[in-house]
Amino acid sequence: MMNLGRKTVAVIVCAVVLIVGTMAYVFLRKDTPVLRLATTTSTYDSGLLDYILPEFENLFECEVDVIAVGSGQAMEMGKRGDVDILLVHSPSAELAFMDGGYGESRTSVMYNNYVLVGPASDPAGIDASANATDAFQRIHNNGTAGLVQFVSRGDNSGTHNKELSIWKSLDLNVSYFDDNWYLSAGQGMGAVLDMCEELDAYTLSDDATYYQRASENLVPNLAITYNLEKTDATLRNQYSVIPVNSTMWPHVDHTLASAFKDWIVSEGGQDLIASYERFGQQLFYPNAPGYVPSTASLGALPDSLVDSARSVPKGLAAIALTTSPGIRCARW
Amino acid sequence: MVGTTGLDLIEVTLLSLYVSGMATILGSAIGIPLGALIGLKEFGGKGAVKTVTYTLYGFPPVLSGLFVYYLFSRAGPFGSLGVLFTPTAMIIAETFLVIPLVTGITITSVVEVDKNIKDTVRAMGASSRQSTLTIMREAWVGLVMACMIGFGRVIAEVGAAYLVGGNIDGKTKVLTTAIMLETRMGHFEWAMALGAVLLFVALAVFFFLRLLQEKELL
Repeated sequence: MMNLGRKTVAVIVCAVVLIVGTMAYVFLRKDTPVLRLATTTSTYDSGLLDYILPEFENLFECEVDVIAVGSGQAMEMGKRGDVDILLVHSPSAELAFMDGGYGESRTSVMYNNYVLVGPASDPAGIDASANATDAFQRIHNNGTAGLVQFVSRGDNSGTHNKELSIWKSLDLNVSYFDDNWYLSAGQGMGAVLDMCEELDAYTLSDDATYYQRASENLVPNLAITYNLEKTDATLRNQYSVIPVNSTMWPHVDHTLASAFKDWIVSEGGQDLIASYERFGQQLFYPNAPGYVPSTASLGALPDSLVDSARSVPKGLAAIALTTSPGIRCARW
Repeated sequence: MVGTTGLDLIEVTLLSLYVSGMATILGSAIGIPLGALIGLKEFGGKGAVKTVTYTLYGFPPVLSGLFVYYLFSRAGPFGSLGVLFTPTAMIIAETFLVIPLVTGITITSVVEVDKNIKDTVRAMGASSRQSTLTIMREAWVGLVMACMIGFGRVIAEVGAAYLVGGNIDGKTKVLTTAIMLETRMGHFEWAMALGAVLLFVALAVFFFLRLLQEKELL
């Protein structure tokens, strides 16, 4: 009996430690309002959100909880009212989302580019293609001839939908593609790039994810085979911000979500996005309605001027936001 | 080696311990009595109940996560509680993973003990309640083992934790979801380093429990 007593004591001590830990965790947390933002992996993994969100958090004395998943999953979370706001890039799915009445508004925020990545030797001769659809036609021709492989995301993500829309514009139906050359991976962008590196295959990638992989020398066999400095609008990756319908879901933080939407499309928010550079280049190009890129993001000025122009946006941002604070979030 | 920005290793590790620890305690608190009941009581369909329990050993974590997501989503029956994307949601999802393991191992342990000492205990004139207590005490090592296996399953689990926790920095990011994130970003070495931390944490926990066991404290 004595033995059981000691054991019981030991179990109770363990339980008490855990429960006290829970209490400490629950009660010592700061009681700041929280905005839940569901977004795609590219905005998070590229470091953009870590760069721009602290400014919003300081201005509105709140915390932004980022849930980075695929566009499809993010929109499902919005439909079910589990998040306050979406920052996504899947235009056709976004329209369906708006038609269903799940969003309050949909506003363009920024874009980055899709790039066609493949083996540096470019066996399909993509570099010579006239435009993006021509490049896809070349991949299809070489693929069916057994010369090259293409890895598709195959996960209903924004990038996957973009790829499907290009095949569709060529009147090609991917469900008839031979799986000897067309591989549907069902994985994230980074994983698909890693697969292409191993298989010497082509894929459609957002440029931020590719630059991240390339800058860390993780995909030495790959290169951008279709150069989009030619700015083919087909390959723009448009991001939109959608506050979740707060009439449908009363607990959704309408105040904070609206504040975030207004902030990210404001001149201050837009300049901040333009000023984010990584892997030696600008990754996201702000294009909210009415926003005129400042000289800093055009990069057409002499270096000395560009540098001084670049230091401006932050100041501008602060001024723009403090003079029109709109709604400050209440504490509750 | 390139790591993610601002990963607070201590915070992430503590949250891992907290979530899997709570899930193990809750799962054991349900699984041990349930297992004892199934193991010691005679009732019709007992074999089927056991088979179902053992089948649930293979319950996919991500399915448990989806289940809990549906329950606690705003559109779900318990949506108003606001539990989704908190450690509590992760604990609930992982508790469901612990219960079948602990129940099953408890059944096996008590049945084994029961076979050996039932007659002795009865012969000494013990009541049914007394004999149950004696059996549980004799089966103690098996029960501790059940909890350890349960803990081992949930500390290594990622599917449910990612889905219902959301891998939010500083709130629901645990070791396994951090490993997923680093892998997604191609930081394989960093992901493996985090894996080593996870194994080290598990080692520390099991070492501590073994120590308690050897000192006959547990």
